[in-house]
Amino acid sequence: MSTRERVLGIDRRQLLGREVPLPPRALRWATSVVGFFVLWWAAVEYSFLNFGLFVGPVETLVAIYGYVLGDPVAGGSQSIYIHAAYSTYRVVAGVSIAALLAIPLGLLIGTSTRAGAGIEWNNYLSPAVESLRPIPPVAWVPASILLFPVVPVVGFSVNTAVLFVVFIGAFFPILVNTIEGVRNLDDEFRRAAQSLGASDRQVFRHVIFPSALPSILTGVSLGIGLGWITVVAAEIVAGNYGLGYITFQAYRLLQTDIIAVGMVVIGALGYASSAIVQRIANRAMPWSDIDT
Amino acid sequence: MSKQESNPERRSQNRNQDTNGYEDMENGHRDLDEDDGRARATGEALVEIDDLTKIYDPDGAHVTAVENMDLEIGDNEFVCVLGPSGCGKSTVMECIAGYLEPTEGEVLINGDPVDGPDPSRGVVFQSNRLFPWKTIGQNARFGPQMRNAVDDDRIRELLEETGLSGFEDSYPHELSGGMQQRAELVRLLANDPDIMLMDEPFSGLDAMTKELMQEMLLDIWEEEDRTVLFITHDVAEAIFLADRVVVMTARPGQIKDVIDVDIDRPRDSSVLTSEAFNEYQKRANELIHDEAERAMEQKQQETQEA
Amino acid sequence: MDTAKWAKRSASILGLLGVWFVVGALGPQTLPGPAAVAGAFVGYVGSPVYWNAITLSTLRVLGAFTIAALIGVPLGLLIGWSVVFGDFTYPALELVRPIPPIAWIPFTILVLPSLAFSLGIASFEIDTGIVFITFLGAFFPILLNAIAGVRSIDDEYSRAAQSLGAADWQTFRHVIYPGALPSVHTGMVVGMGLAWVNLVAAEMISGGGLGFMTWSAYTGGSYPVIFVGMITIGILGYVSSTIVRYIGASQLPWMEGSTA
Ligand SMILES: Nc1ncnc2c1ncn2[C@@H]1O[C@H](COP(=O)(O)OP(=O)(O)O)[C@@H](O)[C@H]1O
Ligand SMILES: [Mg+2]
Repeated sequence: MSTRERVLGIDRRQLLGREVPLPPRALRWATSVVGFFVLWWAAVEYSFLNFGLFVGPVETLVAIYGYVLGDPVAGGSQSIYIHAAYSTYRVVAGVSIAALLAIPLGLLIGTSTRAGAGIEWNNYLSPAVESLRPIPPVAWVPASILLFPVVPVVGFSVNTAVLFVVFIGAFFPILVNTIEGVRNLDDEFRRAAQSLGASDRQVFRHVIFPSALPSILTGVSLGIGLGWITVVAAEIVAGNYGLGYITFQAYRLLQTDIIAVGMVVIGALGYASSAIVQRIANRAMPWSDIDT
Repeated sequence: MSKQESNPERRSQNRNQDTNGYEDMENGHRDLDEDDGRARATGEALVEIDDLTKIYDPDGAHVTAVENMDLEIGDNEFVCVLGPSGCGKSTVMECIAGYLEPTEGEVLINGDPVDGPDPSRGVVFQSNRLFPWKTIGQNARFGPQMRNAVDDDRIRELLEETGLSGFEDSYPHELSGGMQQRAELVRLLANDPDIMLMDEPFSGLDAMTKELMQEMLLDIWEEEDRTVLFITHDVAEAIFLADRVVVMTARPGQIKDVIDVDIDRPRDSSVLTSEAFNEYQKRANELIHDEAERAMEQKQQETQEA
Repeated sequence: MDTAKWAKRSASILGLLGVWFVVGALGPQTLPGPAAVAGAFVGYVGSPVYWNAITLSTLRVLGAFTIAALIGVPLGLLIGWSVVFGDFTYPALELVRPIPPIAWIPFTILVLPSLAFSLGIASFEIDTGIVFITFLGAFFPILLNAIAGVRSIDDEYSRAAQSLGAADWQTFRHVIYPGALPSVHTGMVVGMGLAWVNLVAAEMISGGGLGFMTWSAYTGGSYPVIFVGMITIGILGYVSSTIVRYIGASQLPWMEGSTA
């Protein structure tokens, strides 16, 4: 009887004047997914727009199978695992550095916003940070290629330009959410802790930090999302390895199957990383149930 | 008095707009007692709850909220349902309102089974459900607006009666809790329902505001012919308001006893200190005490299992 | 009191410029200092190249964002409102969602044609690939927030409307739509930000607008212009988010803490 079970105000069992049994949920989901693949297949088969130049779902699956077995991709000698590992490491490293800097900075700015909180760090730091924030991380790509070199480290080439762009992408969401997390704490929790005898340090450790944690983790989760966006952009432009690099390289070589495979793998890794963050968040905060 | 005379006309006008076949309600079931100046319960059942059972089945859990409940509510009667929290009071109301389908048994209104929500059965919710995105005036007009039958005079009258004139353009969050609850009452009355279903409407208010709201509700009810089903866990509130108090057991909710409250109307807060009131309260307290204890144990057990 | 605060805030900005100045003077040859960038800015403000790039990027964002809102909001409201409709549509969208828009670039260059048309004297060419990437950037935040907005509305509001006599479409119009609006607004703000992120990437790779201007400044060796591009993109991004916020706030006078 609930509204939610109706489609556009049509009673579900009375479609076209006839009793229509509603298919079970799993079947509806399956229809949706199968429909997507059928549309994709049909677009390629019947050359909708220039889809004729692209690969269909079946070829993509076959190609994925080949690359999963370790075939080299995009004219190089590396397997897709190497490229996936490069992109993943860049996201992890870039986001980690961003978190290490943004969380303390956010806590500092957030706690100093209160009246009588000592040095007004927020006034000294916020304007500088806020003036950099509107520049989209991808716009940093040319500048960072210019300024950050590729450094060889024990046989690997570390592209610090790509790392920097990922760092910028993750830094601001984490910072903003950390500040918000601290500011949204109701003052009475702090007063309660003080009245129970907590020192300033203890208030921070037992009240301010845990209460900001859900927001901080939301920020990290957003940061990882932006990390994947920026890593792909940076690799396309500046990479020598990575999933972004091979997708674009494949386009140059007109290996359309790798374009599709690259997209699938990037999507899967992005999805997996947000699932992992969600897991960690739930583990870290049994008392909260946040949606990252 | 003049309001009462014009009332039946407006009512039938409004009713003609909706399609649910309540037109015949005017004829059969109302019986004005002229001495009292208001309609009394006629003994004829307007709402008939017949062997109602409601089982919730969320992912395999099997919660029997209400079991084999029988209750008849007469036209123009004020009935309070009193029970400990979690005993199935809201579930009963939601079945009458038409939000839930009974697992077994049925709810009849005027002999017809309930089929979904209907404007003849108005609802006031436990947490205030004024639409936060509409002003008080827009909220008040909502029901008539749905049928394109807004009567501005009536809305103004209701707002004035409840002390809300001047707040028409305010948004709900700008008002105090008591004012919000009054505004929700106005929204309901503007729709002119035959039956008012009220689910612990005053439980969020402070004691003094609550008392004033109860008096206002009785005034409103005594002025116009309406049937009220009022749910509460507050013993004094139930006795102060009701013609009959239906005491429920802990879950699965069944009727433990029914108390006929024979205190003269119109009632005001002076009733609260009367001998008779105390007697009723004592009796209701005795009835409900064990049930409340059982409900608390149930709750604790559920929490441990979860 | 207030002047002290403003002094501190100005010190913050001046500090940032100071750091840039020092790093530019002492650091790598390739990094232009604030003075060089300011000089390049002055030169560019008078040049039609600059204004053409601004116009092109702005029009692309505006167009892509509008399409994203026109599709994302109704679709999200319907998916949130009707479980059945959602079951048939959402899983397919969820397959596509995790792929960052930028990863679509090679695909769009291959598959999406350029649209060329002329209106009397003026002729236009729309790079549909870039518009599509920008659209994707804005679309999913708007969609997800519209869905979440509907789901966050307590069922009792719909029940209240039904009991007051609202038909299903009236419930949609008076409860679902306004109730989801705050969340839709959040989605639009986020979507506007991501539209710019993805626009810049797409432009760097396939041409035109501020993204390309910035990138070609790098490849052409006129390094101060890179920073002119970044700053311009930042300002435009900020202005467009502010406009979205402002319009949103004007639609939500009922929100607690709103000043309207
Ligand atoms: N949607 C539901 N799913 C499962 N159990 C429910 C649901 N709604 C209510 N219940 C359970 O049914 C019992 C009666 O609930 P309710 O009618 O709300 O009680 P009351 O209004 O008297 O406090 C409670 O134990 C509650 O936990
Ligand atoms: Mg209840």
